[in-house]
Amino acid sequence: MKLTTAPEPDGRIGAMLSVEGLTVTFPALGSRVIDDINFTIEKGKTIGLVGESGSGKSMTSLAIMGLLPEGAAVEGSVSYWGEQLLGNPDSAMRRLRGDRIAMIFQDPLSSLNPYFTVGFQIAEAYRTHRGGSRRQARGVAVEAMRQVRIPDAERRVDHYPHQFSGGMRQRVMIAMALVCQPDLIIADEPTTALDVTVQAQILTLMSDLQDSTGAGMLFITHDLAVVSDVADSIVVMQRGKTVEQGTAEAIFSWPESDYTRALLAATPRLDDIVDLPEPLRGTR
Amino acid sequence: MSFDDHTPLLRVQNLVKEFKQSARKQFRAVDDVGFDLSQRETLGVVGESGSGKSTTARMVARLIDPTSGSIEFQGEDVTTRTGAALRHFRGNVQVVFQDPYSSLNPRHTVEQIISAPLRYQGRKVSGGYRKAVKEAMDRVGLNPDHSARHPMQFSGGQAQRIGIARALAVEPKLVICDEAVSALDVSVQAQVLDLLRDLQREHDFSYIFVAHDLAVVRQIAHKVAVMSAGRLVEQGPRDAIFDNPQHEYTRTLLSAVPRINPEWESARKSRDEGNLTASSGN
Repeated sequence: MKLTTAPEPDGRIGAMLSVEGLTVTFPALGSRVIDDINFTIEKGKTIGLVGESGSGKSMTSLAIMGLLPEGAAVEGSVSYWGEQLLGNPDSAMRRLRGDRIAMIFQDPLSSLNPYFTVGFQIAEAYRTHRGGSRRQARGVAVEAMRQVRIPDAERRVDHYPHQFSGGMRQRVMIAMALVCQPDLIIADEPTTALDVTVQAQILTLMSDLQDSTGAGMLFITHDLAVVSDVADSIVVMQRGKTVEQGTAEAIFSWPESDYTRALLAATPRLDDIVDLPEPLRGTR
Repeated sequence: MSFDDHTPLLRVQNLVKEFKQSARKQFRAVDDVGFDLSQRETLGVVGESGSGKSTTARMVARLIDPTSGSIEFQGEDVTTRTGAALRHFRGNVQVVFQDPYSSLNPRHTVEQIISAPLRYQGRKVSGGYRKAVKEAMDRVGLNPDHSARHPMQFSGGQAQRIGIARALAVEPKLVICDEAVSALDVSVQAQVLDLLRDLQREHDFSYIFVAHDLAVVRQIAHKVAVMSAGRLVEQGPRDAIFDNPQHEYTRTLLSAVPRINPEWESARKSRDEGNLTASSGN
């Protein structure tokens, strides 16, 4: 039984998102892909989920959003402002997703429909949840594009996804995710496909937007340097299990587990100098 | 033909690649790129997407033809080689690609994959191809008993070792790694980088290491070429480029690389050292 905490100013109680004992199995295959994951996300805070491929970090986000593949069985609890999301009917989850809970994925090109203008797609994300006329929604789309600093938004709103660079496309995805002013953002490797300079811009943008909206964020990445930059606290995952979790400072300054230490040791750093064999001059 | 102390293994000069964009417009993907590479030396080619780094590597591997410029290998112009002469060049220059699953034929066994360049080169191998394949697998840390398996039966890191074994089988002089470790998890990436350095030490390989990840390049390259929009904006020895970059673009690139908070890094290191002293004192 949890203690009741003081209500938020808007009357809501407790953590924005509270994940307890989250476990996903595929009974037909006899496999357990994530096992007993626990964390909470407070307003304005970012939780980083890190791990290598197969660690279950993406599966965790899919379980939270109710997007698990067929044949998956889920146990535990995912509560959003006190409302249990696990076992929620699809219709209720669809109302939440894209409205209160937004998602940003790795590859904007495969998440955007090439047949529609970006403006139309952002506007539809808005109209699906808020209704209103197309014309009104178009105005909202332009505003959202401005917010993510896409230059010349009034003109670009009528362009198609292929007419944007990778970084600008990811801005479009973020605009679409934020258009309903969600309070929880789930970002799964949102900058992994981007060039470093663009990655830096997108990370700055996401953190600015988070500061101004107070949204909570679940940030999934394999990149320790990125997560150290964005996350307040971190869950390190390996093969579906939590290896360790704590504040970003604790994980990076005083890691407890051998796995976290091994990950840190394997991460290449710009100022690491490795001995290399001496080149041979001339040709033989 | 010249074999002497001054001819580099590879000399690339004024390399240009133009692609047709429309009936009248040409897009210059690579613009006047040149560098030298010695034996047992690694050149890291860095840049963002669209910088022309992969196109440059592919031209050097003679996978695509340059619009102009020259590629000299061991003092000989190989830019326009065809037929048997090109095949001979390919015996000296091999490529490892980014995605092992798409660059290795999924229907072939590891043995077929690794022996393919040997067969193509018509190499006579003492003990036969099977033995050569097993030796190559052993060298890259793969279990030689798995030679009858298919690429999909291996993890990403293991599959990339198959790609490396294939490249090494013909004992080339130059191995071109095009984002060869980019798709790998960090722990696997560190192992593959180790392997590449060890192989260089043992076999005097030269590498052209194309990568977008600057921290990785620092772990492997003797010298670095920075590309932007088809041009080589700066090149030089590794430490000069990383510690004292001259070009504005190089500085921008370096400053954009995410870093772990240095205070946290030093807190961890000093605690580790403390633990070490404590345990050795016991």
